[in-house]
Amino acid sequence: MTSIGTGYDLSNSVFSPDGRNFQVEYAVKAVENGATSIGIKCSDGVVFAVEKLITSKLLVPRKNVKIQTIDRHVGCVYSGIIPDGRYLVNKGREEASSFKSLYSRPIPVPSLADRMGQYVAAHTLYNSVRPFGITAIFGGIDSDGPHLYMLEPSGTCWGYKGAATGKGRQTAKAELEKILDKETELTTEEAIKQAAKVIYMAHEDNKDKDFELEISWCSLEGTKGLHKFVTGQQLEDAIEFAKKETSVADFNDSDDDEDDNNDANVSSDDEAVDRDGDINIE
Amino acid sequence: MAGLSFDNYQRNQFLTSKNSAQPKATSTGTTIVGVKFEGGVLIAADTRSTQGPIVADKNCAKLHRISPRIWCAGAGTAADTEAVTALIGSNIELHSLSTRRQPRVVTALQMLKQHLFEYQGHIGAYLIVAGVDPTGPHLMSVQAHGSTDVGYYLSLGSGSLAAMAVLESRWREGLTKDEAVSLAADAIEAGIWNDLGSGSNVDVCVMEVGKDAAYLRNYRTPNVREPKQQSYKFARGTTAVLKESIINVCDIEEQEVEIQA
Amino acid sequence: MNGIQVDINHLKKGEVSLGTSIMAVTFKDGVILGADSRTTTGAYIANRVTDKLTRVHDKIWCCRSGSAADTQAVADIVQYHLDLYTSNYGTPSTETAASIFKTICYENKDGLSAGIIVAGFDDKTKKGEVFSIPLGGSVHKQDYAIAGSGSAFIYGYCDKNYKHDMSKDETVNFMKHSLSQAIKWDGSSGGVIRMVVLTKEGVERLVFYPDEYENL
Repeated sequence: MTSIGTGYDLSNSVFSPDGRNFQVEYAVKAVENGATSIGIKCSDGVVFAVEKLITSKLLVPRKNVKIQTIDRHVGCVYSGIIPDGRYLVNKGREEASSFKSLYSRPIPVPSLADRMGQYVAAHTLYNSVRPFGITAIFGGIDSDGPHLYMLEPSGTCWGYKGAATGKGRQTAKAELEKILDKETELTTEEAIKQAAKVIYMAHEDNKDKDFELEISWCSLEGTKGLHKFVTGQQLEDAIEFAKKETSVADFNDSDDDEDDNNDANVSSDDEAVDRDGDINIE
Repeated sequence: MAGLSFDNYQRNQFLTSKNSAQPKATSTGTTIVGVKFEGGVLIAADTRSTQGPIVADKNCAKLHRISPRIWCAGAGTAADTEAVTALIGSNIELHSLSTRRQPRVVTALQMLKQHLFEYQGHIGAYLIVAGVDPTGPHLMSVQAHGSTDVGYYLSLGSGSLAAMAVLESRWREGLTKDEAVSLAADAIEAGIWNDLGSGSNVDVCVMEVGKDAAYLRNYRTPNVREPKQQSYKFARGTTAVLKESIINVCDIEEQEVEIQA
Repeated sequence: MNGIQVDINHLKKGEVSLGTSIMAVTFKDGVILGADSRTTTGAYIANRVTDKLTRVHDKIWCCRSGSAADTQAVADIVQYHLDLYTSNYGTPSTETAASIFKTICYENKDGLSAGIIVAGFDDKTKKGEVFSIPLGGSVHKQDYAIAGSGSAFIYGYCDKNYKHDMSKDETVNFMKHSLSQAIKWDGSSGGVIRMVVLTKEGVERLVFYPDEYENL
């Protein structure tokens, strides 16, 4: 990179002569190597999905949940440095909570997006902090309907119909464009299946690594506007659909094979996420 | 326990009953009024200033200028009414300069009430604020704790009851300027005659729409003192000069210098 | 404990108080706020034509009781919050306004004597709402609310005579009778009866003079 040796990449609060902030660009690099995350906006809600690479065989399956809930009606998924994401979500929760305590109503999603965007942008302005090493996709349903936003390390926060980030974003974006190009808008029920498919296809280039699939949704009918995880039969169906569509049938996907870690599968006695998709606090 | 501690209350009661009287809080007597009339507003005040039972100043000024066309009559603690009107007057001028607009009465009132509320009544200023601005003539009052009232005629101070009696009986809608001035002056006089804390003269300030404010200092002087029958002034030369000497404390030099045109 | 328990909500010396009769009533087309107009300093009536019905947003108003200074300051702060809220998020709900009132009244309960009724008309739901926020800073959503020193005398009357979904004329009449009784029996209430009607049509102000409401 041209910045090497110039010194302009050492500080957040210093521009390079051609007007770039290298620290932010490095943060984007961190995101580009992260796991693929996507979000889809539908007529009746939003759907989030993320690819969870199995980095160790010792990890407990389905225990390490990636998608988070910012407020009861807002979900968030991100790619990049995971702890940065958890920190940002925590900030989002504080904003949502303070809004509700003052105004006695849930925070509108665009206002939450604005506040989180400002917070991330502030981390590109000061020498004493580093930018967030994540791109977050978040959204939900409020009194104005569904919203979906993607927030980048620079603080850019734009609204999308479909958003993808992480390693497989190119494939994912291409697929999302095909899915969302149609005349009729998608329903969340359909989008769950499509989201699974997109994650499976984005994983194609990374076939040698095992992964788990995590999906969550906010739906007017399906979740009464709340953010919940997709579990049980609904998740199995989505995975089934994804596999068929991506013709990755060569994966060994027998559910009764205990040693099988090749793909995402679901068990009904899930501990971290219960059947309603609520997260249990231990 | 929440709130203030009253642990010493009984002790103080005991001490009071024994001998030493409790320290007296100083309060100042005053009569001030404000009256709206057709095309403007005016304020008036008496000119007595007291310290306990003593008249401290027989002709003090209780009408304060906040801006050229917003004036204020003050009752309560004299130091506080002067300080708070000077402060808000200063801030109003800066605000007017930075916004390039004529100052408004509501602005002055809002600044006063927020300042007084912040001090929870410890600034003992009771003011009648009046003036003309681009939105018309206005008459309002503010109490030490920060509450405000709006009215066509107002009175404040220890003589306010006497003054209000006059205003209540004679005020009507559509008074002319002259009628309003004499009504206000009569109201102040009611205070001067019937309230121990008020006295001496009547000051008036008339603010008409589109005109400069007219400050009528000592508009009425019903308490002019009779001239003394004998004068304590001694004519020049009463004291004899026994000797005179002039000492030069420095040398004086004179020099003529031509100045080039 | 040595000493004397003193009500911390007692007014400071010389403070202007709204010894008051206030109420707000929901009806078929919205909500009506009502109040007497007396402001007192001790035994002296400092203002006989006070306006205790204060606007904090276009169609969210409040009735103030307690200290005049405190309630005016609180209403000013709430108005500021709602202005800011409007530019950020659009028209606020009455519940949101009540929530801001509550936050201020609750967090400063040691320093304030303010009993406030918040009432508003929601243009989206076409409904009037009333929230009562008494001294401690609690919030009570009610069909109608009465407060102030004069309210003590009309609990029974209001309970017997309030009906759901009254017409505007019925409601005005009900409030006129209620406040008339409150004023009659409470020495700290008096003057004129002021009302503010909040409906989809907008805001309407009403005044009733003693010769009318005293001879109902």
